[in-house]
Amino acid sequence: MSRLELYSPEGLRVDGRRWNELRRFECRTNTHPHAADGSAYVQQGNSKILCLVKGPMEHGANLAAGTKLDANGPVLSITINYPPFAANDRKKRQKNDRRLQEISIILKRCFMKTIVLKNYSRTVIDISLTVLAMDGGLLACFCNAITLALIDAGISLYDYVSAISIGLFDQTPLLDMNTLEESDLSFVTIGVVGDSDKLNLMLCEDKIPLDKLERLISLGIEGCHRVKQLMDHQMRVAGQELQERQ
Amino acid sequence: MASVKKQRLSDGLSVTQKVFVRSRNGGALKIVREHYLRDDVPCSSICCDDCEEYYRPTPDGGKNEPVLSGEPLDLGKQNIGKHYLVLDTNVVLNAIDLLEGDKAFYDVVIPQTVLEEVRNRSYPIYMRLRALCKNDDKRFAVFHNEFKAASHVSREKGESAQDFNDRLIRKCASFYTEHLKSHKIDIVLLTGDKNNAEKASKEGLVSMTLHNYVSLLPNFAELEDMLPSNETFSRQLNEINYQDYYSSARLMGGIKNGTLYQGVINISSYNFLEGSISVPSMPKPLLILGRENLNRSFNGDSVIVELLPQSKWKKPSTEIVDEETINKNEVGDDDENEVIISDQERKLLAQQAAETQGHDDKVIPTARVVGIVKRSWRLYVGQLASNAAASSQNTGNAAKSCFVILMDRSLPKIRIRTRRSRELSGKRIVVAVDSWPANSKYPEGHFVRVLGDIEDKDAEQEALLLEHDVEYRPFSKNVLDCLPKEGHDWKVPENLQNGDEQLAKRRDLRDKLVCSIDPPGCVDIDDALHAQLLPNGNYEVGVHIADVTHFVKPATALDQEGASRATSVYLVDKRIDMLPMLLGTDLCSLKPYVDRFAFTVLWELDQDANIVKVDYFKSIIRSKEAFAYEQAQLRMDDQSQQDDLTKGMRILLKLSKKLKQKRLRAGALNLASPEVKVHMDSETSDPGEVEVKKLVEANSLVEEFMLLANISVAKKIYDEFPQVAMLRRHGAPPATNFEVLNDMLRVRKGMSISLESSKALADSLDRCVDPQDPYFNTLLRIMATRCMMAAEYFSAGNFGYEDFRHYGLATEIYTHFTSPIRRYCDVVVHRQLAASIGYEPLHSLHRDKAKMDLVVKNINKRHRNAQFAGRASIEYYVGQVMKNTQSTHEGYVIKVFSNGIVVLVPKFGVESLIKLESLGDIKDSHFDDELYKLTFTGHNGQSRQISVFDRVNVFVTSQLDELTGKRKAQLKLA
Repeated sequence: MSRLELYSPEGLRVDGRRWNELRRFECRTNTHPHAADGSAYVQQGNSKILCLVKGPMEHGANLAAGTKLDANGPVLSITINYPPFAANDRKKRQKNDRRLQEISIILKRCFMKTIVLKNYSRTVIDISLTVLAMDGGLLACFCNAITLALIDAGISLYDYVSAISIGLFDQTPLLDMNTLEESDLSFVTIGVVGDSDKLNLMLCEDKIPLDKLERLISLGIEGCHRVKQLMDHQMRVAGQELQERQ
Repeated sequence: MASVKKQRLSDGLSVTQKVFVRSRNGGALKIVREHYLRDDVPCSSICCDDCEEYYRPTPDGGKNEPVLSGEPLDLGKQNIGKHYLVLDTNVVLNAIDLLEGDKAFYDVVIPQTVLEEVRNRSYPIYMRLRALCKNDDKRFAVFHNEFKAASHVSREKGESAQDFNDRLIRKCASFYTEHLKSHKIDIVLLTGDKNNAEKASKEGLVSMTLHNYVSLLPNFAELEDMLPSNETFSRQLNEINYQDYYSSARLMGGIKNGTLYQGVINISSYNFLEGSISVPSMPKPLLILGRENLNRSFNGDSVIVELLPQSKWKKPSTEIVDEETINKNEVGDDDENEVIISDQERKLLAQQAAETQGHDDKVIPTARVVGIVKRSWRLYVGQLASNAAASSQNTGNAAKSCFVILMDRSLPKIRIRTRRSRELSGKRIVVAVDSWPANSKYPEGHFVRVLGDIEDKDAEQEALLLEHDVEYRPFSKNVLDCLPKEGHDWKVPENLQNGDEQLAKRRDLRDKLVCSIDPPGCVDIDDALHAQLLPNGNYEVGVHIADVTHFVKPATALDQEGASRATSVYLVDKRIDMLPMLLGTDLCSLKPYVDRFAFTVLWELDQDANIVKVDYFKSIIRSKEAFAYEQAQLRMDDQSQQDDLTKGMRILLKLSKKLKQKRLRAGALNLASPEVKVHMDSETSDPGEVEVKKLVEANSLVEEFMLLANISVAKKIYDEFPQVAMLRRHGAPPATNFEVLNDMLRVRKGMSISLESSKALADSLDRCVDPQDPYFNTLLRIMATRCMMAAEYFSAGNFGYEDFRHYGLATEIYTHFTSPIRRYCDVVVHRQLAASIGYEPLHSLHRDKAKMDLVVKNINKRHRNAQFAGRASIEYYVGQVMKNTQSTHEGYVIKVFSNGIVVLVPKFGVESLIKLESLGDIKDSHFDDELYKLTFTGHNGQSRQISVFDRVNVFVTSQLDELTGKRKAQLKLA
């Protein structure tokens, strides 16, 4: 039994949102112009993620020994930093935390479908993610941050991938879950390509009744489209600034 | 609190962030909460136009509507005209009964702050408050004040959580005052906290205490008694000083390092000053003796105890102690005359202490209560102490405090304050407990309502339903809305291929010769059977169970109601249904001559009743006949009947005997209970005579096949859902339970019961026969039954497979599948079985382990309560029967105390205590606790010995207990 009313009969969630409202979404690109080829900062509610992209390049610094370059496309290497201060309880994570490894594989699969592969044969693209603060929606924030950082690095993508998590409270789908909600409800994370209904990413780690899943996903797609708009807006502002500077 | 910052976003939302860093268990824990402020939180008042656009649709298309009426109660006072109420937390917690009543309290605003506080303090009260908010008539509205930008305040540095909450509530009230000023509606803030009220007045709000407010209402007199007591009893009582409870930090620490123990306290029904508590780390329960050590705990409270030094360890008392015999002469008002412990109590304690020193072999560790985790307080039924009512005869209508004696004798009496003591005496009344201060000998409470006269049939019935927490109110409208619209005209569709996928999955068994066998007069027929010989010499046997889940779909209001009732309750002359009548007695009931949906288990059994094949499916059947047990027996015995139906029944009988034999060989127990049946006069519905229940072969026919079906289904659902399958287990009784009984047997009869396995137990019970007394074996079985563990429902993931065992039935796995009309467990099992055969997917409600645990916990509790209620009902009626007939009967001594004996009278199934006073001379008695023998001099001057298992003749009368108003069997040695 949760100590909190996660979704009240009046239709408000623990943090005052309605069922179909996103948390505050903020993003910036080119935050670290000297440290990497592309960088982005994404904030969804209290979750704050930093992403640096290096590449395309011929040799990756973080690449595991013996990894062969691919003639058909780039090698994506994704490293995740989850420092002890980021989560609620201060605890050190092992270097090869299985959950983070799993997430990085999922992200790799997702972006191998998004990057225009043929432009980057025999190269390495190095993505490094840092969690500054975590309040739910880990995978979704990662995905959004990578999209922005890749664009900032000038790597050709077919379209944006925008991601969001959706949970299920009894019969009600809830958009963009925070930690409190995530710890009590089962949820699914999806990533949508541009303005389409195509999913490039989907992860569900709990049990969700099959008959409810469709509603969750359709709400999620709407949410993703909104996130895409916000990201697109930010990119255009950044582009404008760049133009003015020249 | 590290930072608070506000930001306004373009779309009108603003954000506050709270960051707390606090340390627990040594580590640092950061709590970061986001908090979105918004304007579109409606005020819920009908007359407010500004908030109209704020009522947003919910995801399923519904819409919240304004609930507060435009014409609320008008008190016509200078600053309170038409008004809404805003409640503070303490008002809700203390006066929820008053709020629920229909006499006052309409148009009430519950701030979110209060709702959350109530939820954290008491979940049941929170649920009741939520139910109130749903109730359209009461017009209670929840206002999310912390999310509304206009009524939000931030916590200040150094402000305590309590103060902050009070400030939030005041802010909420002031928001409403401003908001509705133009509509001429006043806001009254009700609070129990004087500090808060003062601050509110300073801020220009109208604020008063609950008592002041109620005194302004037109129906003041009626409501006054229902006010919670905490203010009226504020004058200093100094009758006793209970020890203060330890601080929560000390309690937590103590439990962690193993010096304190937590458990549920169980107060002896024979001795109200003796409790016991089972703690996991001790093999035997700890004893808690005396009022001070019990330290204000109620029977059933979850408490924390501390061991007493070894010098204070004692053995359980061999004495019967009744609260009223000791404290008979107290009147609620006479506090000055009360001493901390009455002299009689002291004498008893000393006596016990002396005894302890005498034989230290059986000494048990004692403990005292140092903290209460969770109160088991609920509404209690009782009556005014008679002397309080008498003394009020001459004092008129002034409010005075008096005691309410509860029906449950293991609970203390409760002090209430009322003006109507004269009116209330001789009535069954409902009271609620408010508090138990350390300086008050008795808990304090308030009056809730009157049930009726004592001994009035309806009042007594309602009382016992309330006492056992049985929901007996009629089904609500939204529950009835879930029933099929056709009502009694509902029929199985003619065309089975009408495109309904689920209907197409049903097998048509209407040609099978199905019949049902039930007790006479049964209307809710859950089960029907058929059998026929197959060409290969085996038998086909089908058990058909009413398909309740076709009508009761998961997560509907009907399903929730069923889940919370969990079982039908059978009283002597009344049945409280789990499901509405329409389903139970018509649409689901497998009545003869009509088509009904059923859930079928179909076996192929060989000649020795071994299962060759088993199949599960939903079906349509048409029962050919509904028999009563005797009727079925006659038909099977009558050799002239040679039709196929009777032949099928004979096959069933033959197979059932084999099944029973196999079961007994495996070690199934044959236990006994002193169950009786009360016959009612059909015209006056007055109880006529009492009869011990009889069994014929046909009973066991049905029973064997139901057991077989249950076991087969249990295996199937466990295979499919190893984590959440709903099963039933019966643990092996710990040897300690039988210690006393075995010792009594050894000393008195030279026999013993073996406990190695259920088979050994069954065999040893068979061996314990007294040739001179044919009833002795039954008596022993009754007493053995009481030493058993209770069977319980559980979800499969909570135990290992070897713990699934049903000890009594000697089977590895068991569940309840065969009575879905009257048990909710069976409904769940039906759904799980339907999912496992691919009929329909399983609802998440029964797939989630945490949710299943809640369901299981509830049905276990309800099941137990239903049994107790049934027994209490029989006890009441047996009492009524005996009112008319007084006679001498045979009884058996089943317990011996140093100041009395307990005698069981098989004829009526009653047991009662005979006190030493009524046996003979109190002073000249000797109790030998090694031999369980009491020697005393009778009133006629003759010395007499009585020991356990003795057969005695007793004179049975019924007597109205002056104190509790319960009619009870009164026994006297003849």
